[in-house]
Amino acid sequence: MATFPGEVGGGSARARTQSALAGLDWWLLGSAIAVSGFGVYVVRIATDGDIPSDPGYFFTRQVAYTLIGLVALFFTLRLDLERLSRYVWTLYAMLIAAVGIVLVLGSSARGSTRWIELGPLRLQPSELGKVVIAFVLAVIVVERIRSMDSARLSLFVAGIAAVPAGIVFLQPDLGTSLVYAAITVAILWVAGQPITHFIVAGAVVVTLAALVLYILPAAGVNVLKPYQVDRLTAFVDSGADRSETGYQLEQSKVAIGSGGAFGKGPSGATQTINDFLPEHHTDFIFAVVAEMFGFLGAGLLIALYFVIIWRCLVIMRQAHTELERLVAAGLTAMLAFEVFVNIGMNVGIMPITGIPLPFMSYGGSHTLTNLVAVGVLLRIGRRGRELGPRTR
Amino acid sequence: MSTTSPIPPDLPPGEEPRPPRRRIRRPTRPVLRMASFTVAVLLLLGVLVARLWFLQVIGGGDYQERAEANRLRTIITEAPRGAITDRNGAPLVTSREVLNLVAEPSQLTGPEGAGALRRLSVALGHPPGYFAAKVKKSGESRPFEAVVLEEDTTPELQAYVEERRAQLPGISLQAAYVRDYPEGTTAAHVLGYTGPSPAENAEEYGGRGYLGNETVGRAGMEAEYEEYLRGIAGREQVEVDARGEVVGRGILSQTPPRPGQTLRLSIDLKVQKALEAALRDEVRGSGTSTGAAGVAIDPKTGAVLALASYPTFDPDVFQSGSPREVRRVLTSPARPLLDRAIGGEYPAASTFKAITATAAIESGLYTPGEIIESPGSVVLYKTRFKGFNETDHGKIGVSEALEVSSDTFFYEIGDRSYRVRGWPLQDWSRKFGLGRPTGLDTVEGESAGLVPDLAYKRRTCDRAVDPINCSWRPGDSINMSIGQGNVLVTPIQMAVAYAAIANGGTVVTPTLGRAVVDADGRVLRDLLSARAKRPLGISEQSLQLVRTGLRRAANGNGGTATPVFGALPEQFRVEGKTGTAENSSGVDHAWYVGYAPADDPKILVAVVVERGGQGANSAAPVVCRAIGAYVGFSADKCGTGAKVN
Repeated sequence: MATFPGEVGGGSARARTQSALAGLDWWLLGSAIAVSGFGVYVVRIATDGDIPSDPGYFFTRQVAYTLIGLVALFFTLRLDLERLSRYVWTLYAMLIAAVGIVLVLGSSARGSTRWIELGPLRLQPSELGKVVIAFVLAVIVVERIRSMDSARLSLFVAGIAAVPAGIVFLQPDLGTSLVYAAITVAILWVAGQPITHFIVAGAVVVTLAALVLYILPAAGVNVLKPYQVDRLTAFVDSGADRSETGYQLEQSKVAIGSGGAFGKGPSGATQTINDFLPEHHTDFIFAVVAEMFGFLGAGLLIALYFVIIWRCLVIMRQAHTELERLVAAGLTAMLAFEVFVNIGMNVGIMPITGIPLPFMSYGGSHTLTNLVAVGVLLRIGRRGRELGPRTR
Repeated sequence: MSTTSPIPPDLPPGEEPRPPRRRIRRPTRPVLRMASFTVAVLLLLGVLVARLWFLQVIGGGDYQERAEANRLRTIITEAPRGAITDRNGAPLVTSREVLNLVAEPSQLTGPEGAGALRRLSVALGHPPGYFAAKVKKSGESRPFEAVVLEEDTTPELQAYVEERRAQLPGISLQAAYVRDYPEGTTAAHVLGYTGPSPAENAEEYGGRGYLGNETVGRAGMEAEYEEYLRGIAGREQVEVDARGEVVGRGILSQTPPRPGQTLRLSIDLKVQKALEAALRDEVRGSGTSTGAAGVAIDPKTGAVLALASYPTFDPDVFQSGSPREVRRVLTSPARPLLDRAIGGEYPAASTFKAITATAAIESGLYTPGEIIESPGSVVLYKTRFKGFNETDHGKIGVSEALEVSSDTFFYEIGDRSYRVRGWPLQDWSRKFGLGRPTGLDTVEGESAGLVPDLAYKRRTCDRAVDPINCSWRPGDSINMSIGQGNVLVTPIQMAVAYAAIANGGTVVTPTLGRAVVDADGRVLRDLLSARAKRPLGISEQSLQLVRTGLRRAANGNGGTATPVFGALPEQFRVEGKTGTAENSSGVDHAWYVGYAPADDPKILVAVVVERGGQGANSAAPVVCRAIGAYVGFSADKCGTGAKVN
């Protein structure tokens, strides 16, 4: 990252570190590290018996991912968005290429193709792509907002986002493509595009969802894989749903509900440790927290997420440039959307879309992505605080 | 941040501002947009917290129960039912361990479960939907409970299931116990049978700690002594994981299975077998008989040594028979389930004369030593009452009257009883235990019989057609004196009545159960000695006269059963009475009640052979064989009946 042009060089490593850490939003950084640490701990206790030959399998890996993510975070603190914006189309092309390669060549896992194998590493480009697309869209909006008709701009931005989002959707990774959509909407919203655009877009989405989920399948055309339709509709009535998805959701609700006010503790969380709750280290890790630590623990975790998102919003409001504001808007939307949709699906009020819980769920790519996003936000925040919002 | 200028010149420094092609509208202030963003985030997080509160704090208890239900599994280990033995410990019913084919409905969902049931149905030669229907039917009355698809599986079926364990989820072989009958149909009516607890009494059984589908005693000793025989299933609570495997903490609580206790009956297997064989031979040999029954008791204690009814049934049918076989037993016109020994009501006929004689002496209708003219027939109240074969017995006393079974002698007694105040025949009948169940230890099936009296006549007469029949008339007393008319008795009632004569005047309560014993044969509970005994209040003199009559009836020159019993050695001397009961079917029912040895009676047998003809010919040889089996003489010592009545 230090090879990006325009970075201030020189000085000792210690001085560089000091200058890198000075003026940061400690609430944001502290909360993100706290949740990440807690996530590592929960991954440890939730997966204890999953691989008998290596009880620490998931734990050691998640520790490594988090450390890599933190290193990336500190490099990101030095990333100059204004200068990077010159390479916006290069970045966009790289993003398309990366997700495209995954779609064409990527290794298959559980019916979906999301990873690129790089030696021992498996990279999920669509994850890091979330940060990239937020940056790309923000640059495009800032460059064209005064030169382009607003309706055209909205359509143009939507089109730019739709290409990688569509490829990701085809992988198929519905959840991540929805995150792309959320980022796009947030950037256009904060950029001040007319409210009618959002109403029209909302109407189009509702119509499409009805078509894809109910009307076309009834007519024999299946846009989504059956398991995806199951997942999306299971939360309406999980009890009646006998499929795998309905089972997952039901067990998640039982895990959360049985946690009660104060939880059953790590050793008493039988839904988790006896494997009734599937995916308890990834998509359903929130249910593990709720089962082990009850309403108190789960509520505290949500409070920490509130602190993170609140600081992101403050950073967005205080952003020095419009570009930084829009990037902050996109990344804030990304985190908020993932937190809400993931916890929402755990508690049974949102469809199951395979979105991990930021800083908590096991997984390298999204741990890295979320910490990089925090790094970007921290830098925007520091610049906003030091330079103040531009008032011209 | 800028909120005033509609077009902030927000361009990178150093670039020439391009003239806009069009005026771009900036309708919304960014502050509002950002504020709405914040509000939306707060709202959504608030929704999550509210939902969590709803799930965890309000609904917590409910979900805790469901989490417990997930993790806890109760493993039931069936306990064997106790055995039933005869008085010497010879097994009559035992429990045998078998493997049942069992389906767990909760693991048989979806197409996989349906496929497993279908494959299994076809493999066992049933229609494809056979087991699915069974599971569905069971689920309606007992949801969530394991369903027994096939009981007592063959080794071939066990191998089939074991080899395909992976393809048959939710299907398993489980150990269970079935009843084994080492003596076949022997004592079927006594033993009764077992079956699943009846659904209509589910609550009652549940209250006594039974599981929903447990096997219980449904009839006979199996039902009467259920509380001792039942095995109490063991329960083991374990913690399981999502795959159903026992995990970590393993067994959480454990109650070991408790096998049932052994019930020792007073039945003597060799007497039982002899009685059954004799009854069967008699019915099959008679050509007219539709059934027969007999009871052997110890006249001193009431302990039932044998109790048999023919035709009989196979108790195993109720356990492993097909529905068709069960239906055949239930609906057969021969009525094999009817225990004729305790539930069959027959006219007592001449066996009743011992009771008439006792009543006559005790109530002063007959003075000991009195001689009564006993011609072939008598005219009383302008009606001719004929004696059997109209034989003239001349002037005889009560013992001779019993020996030759004179009808006219007892007509005279009947007439006398009509003329006195009170109801000596009815009173003494009831003292001997007639007219109500004897109190045999069996859940059901015992009949009361009938001691006719004025109330009975009033209850049953037709006032419009025959008003005079609504009163007690001389003919009623005269007919009753020889056990005809409306007198109805069961074999076990006659056994109890004669036991009182044999044992010196005590009415005993017949008892099948002798003791509850543990595995080592130690008596845990005595079922016999606490049974009620009631003194008859009969004088020694009457007893002697009646017993003399009974001895002469079996051994005297004119005795009706002398051809059968007369040749027995002194130590096996039998005393008893024949009976030949007229009835509407046309062929008489044959009776015999007798006991031996005369000096110290150890066994008393009452036998009735439906439509068997004369008592001496048909019933007495059966009694002789049963007594012989107990006291130790062979059947060929018994003569065949040749004389009449």
